[in-house]
Amino acid sequence: MEISSLPLSPSLRSKLLSAGYTNLCSLSSISPPELARALNISNHEAAGVLKVVLQRSRVDGAGESHAIINGARTAWDILRDEQTLTRITTSCEEVDTILGGGINCKEVTEIGGVPGIGKTQLGIQLAINVQIPVDYGGLGGKAIYIDTEGSFMVERVFQIAEACIQDTLDNFSLKHKDFQVCEEKMQPKAFLANIFYFRICSYTEQIAVINYLDKFIAEQQNVKLVVIDSVTFHFRQDFEDLALRTRVLSGMALKLMKLAKKFSLAVVLLNQVTTKFIDGSFQLTLALGDSWSHACTNRVILYWNGNERYAYIDKSPSLQSASASFSVTSKGIRSATSNSKRIKVM
Amino acid sequence: MPPIKVENPLNLTTQKCTLGCPILNHFLDGGVPCNSITELVAESGCGKTQLCLQLLLCAQLPASRGGLDAASFYIHSEFPFPLRRLRQLSLSFPLSNSDDPLDRIFVHAVEYPDELLALLDRVESLLSAPSSLRIKLIVIDSIAALFRSEFDNKPSDLKQRSSLFFRIAGKLKSIAKRFSLAIVVTNQVVDLVDSDGANGLQVGNFGYLYSSGRRVCPALGLSWANCINSRLFLSRCNEAGRITTSGSEDQSCGELGVMMTKRRMQVVFAPHLPKSSCEFVIVREGVFGVGS
Repeated sequence: MEISSLPLSPSLRSKLLSAGYTNLCSLSSISPPELARALNISNHEAAGVLKVVLQRSRVDGAGESHAIINGARTAWDILRDEQTLTRITTSCEEVDTILGGGINCKEVTEIGGVPGIGKTQLGIQLAINVQIPVDYGGLGGKAIYIDTEGSFMVERVFQIAEACIQDTLDNFSLKHKDFQVCEEKMQPKAFLANIFYFRICSYTEQIAVINYLDKFIAEQQNVKLVVIDSVTFHFRQDFEDLALRTRVLSGMALKLMKLAKKFSLAVVLLNQVTTKFIDGSFQLTLALGDSWSHACTNRVILYWNGNERYAYIDKSPSLQSASASFSVTSKGIRSATSNSKRIKVM
Repeated sequence: MPPIKVENPLNLTTQKCTLGCPILNHFLDGGVPCNSITELVAESGCGKTQLCLQLLLCAQLPASRGGLDAASFYIHSEFPFPLRRLRQLSLSFPLSNSDDPLDRIFVHAVEYPDELLALLDRVESLLSAPSSLRIKLIVIDSIAALFRSEFDNKPSDLKQRSSLFFRIAGKLKSIAKRFSLAIVVTNQVVDLVDSDGANGLQVGNFGYLYSSGRRVCPALGLSWANCINSRLFLSRCNEAGRITTSGSEDQSCGELGVMMTKRRMQVVFAPHLPKSSCEFVIVREGVFGVGS
């Protein structure tokens, strides 16, 4: 179907053609503001053009009417996309299992727990694991680590990187022989250098850095993980106006979600726990309030059960509530050592 | 305000301040880290202040001996300031330069949380002045004493209290980062009376903490625990024994074979240290670890 056959003014038609829109299909998946920008016309005019196109393609019958929804994607396509996405392993098989294979790209995952449970350890582990090269079954991506609390200790990152590389090479040495080429990439120093580290000292800085991420990630290529450790710390001081805090936080969450979709990367937010006064007793809950709990796609809570650490899927659109034990070792996050039944489905 | 910039972890180094004893240094993987808040929590008489005083002196040691080669700042909220003990310790810490080490220890008392915040603002402007002194260690002894009288157990008071925690910690961390300081704070403990503890809440590696045979837990609750980077718990064992210390600087006290109370230091949580514990003794020359 040609543009030239549309009932439009000649000037609009030539603008369309010179901008490269030669047939109806090419106009089927574009929004009025986009078209307005492309043709340098007003939004109103652009909407008019699209309306004409829509009418015309309806007249043209069923055969071509699919063209109009080209921009939309079927759930099947999205599912296929999702299945091909690689997830970031946590290095603990049981936790990976309850997470459906690891931390998902394109999603915002919140991880919360009491001090000392291993939130930072998990954050560092993910920042390392995201860099496992594609040849070794990883993502081969880079990581951004936004540290608001000052718990990012380089010596510990180095230790975890070393152990991760060792384990990855051990797993693969049996299957392949010709991996000398990758050896140079598999150095702890290279892994450290692929973490972009921001140290944040106030909530304004935190917002500024998150606003800057869009540009930064576009420049850097291949960033596959953003960790914020923790998202909470600066929002628990100096906020008299809680309504303002909620607005600022939800704006931030929206931006992070957009980043996750746009660059197909995983966003991991670490959160603290606080006590909440419910029905006459104090109960533990993740910080930042009820409205924040809507902000993340997935929510994982880390807790102690006796002397073992457990991870629990508190909220997820696709995963079953389940808990699994893990441990924090000198190598980083690993499976728990005890042989009790580790995965519990709720 | 310095601009925020992306940093390469390869260029980040964690400077550490020695504790003046090889065993304790090994236990803490080099000492007390800069750019971070380390909390020492214990009941009274376990050696919190002793360790703090020792750190004030150790910070002055040159980098070659594991120190920070800088002055230190001691903020105390418990009285009186243990000047005589500091003097005694300083005599067993020979420094290479001829200055008296006490010359490079600044002492300030605070009584209220707001006073502390105001003081930290002044410290910040002092440190950012071009001709400033090199201060690399701030010790607050103790944070708990500031909060123990002021606040009631009402929800509104608790909320105000935890907001103050986060403001103080935020300030400390930003100063620590800006001037790469080591921050040490001490905290008290409270006895646990009910069997369930604080709602069965476990913070850190150890389910229960014992000191002098009683079950205790660090004061100031969960929100303060969220504010610090590392927590070390000091406790006392009641039985005294004959101990030989193996610190390099205290050969003499091992030979003396005095009866001494055994004390223990535990890593409750720390981003860079595993769950572990270590015994130590306090002698005239200072605080020293005991080799196993």
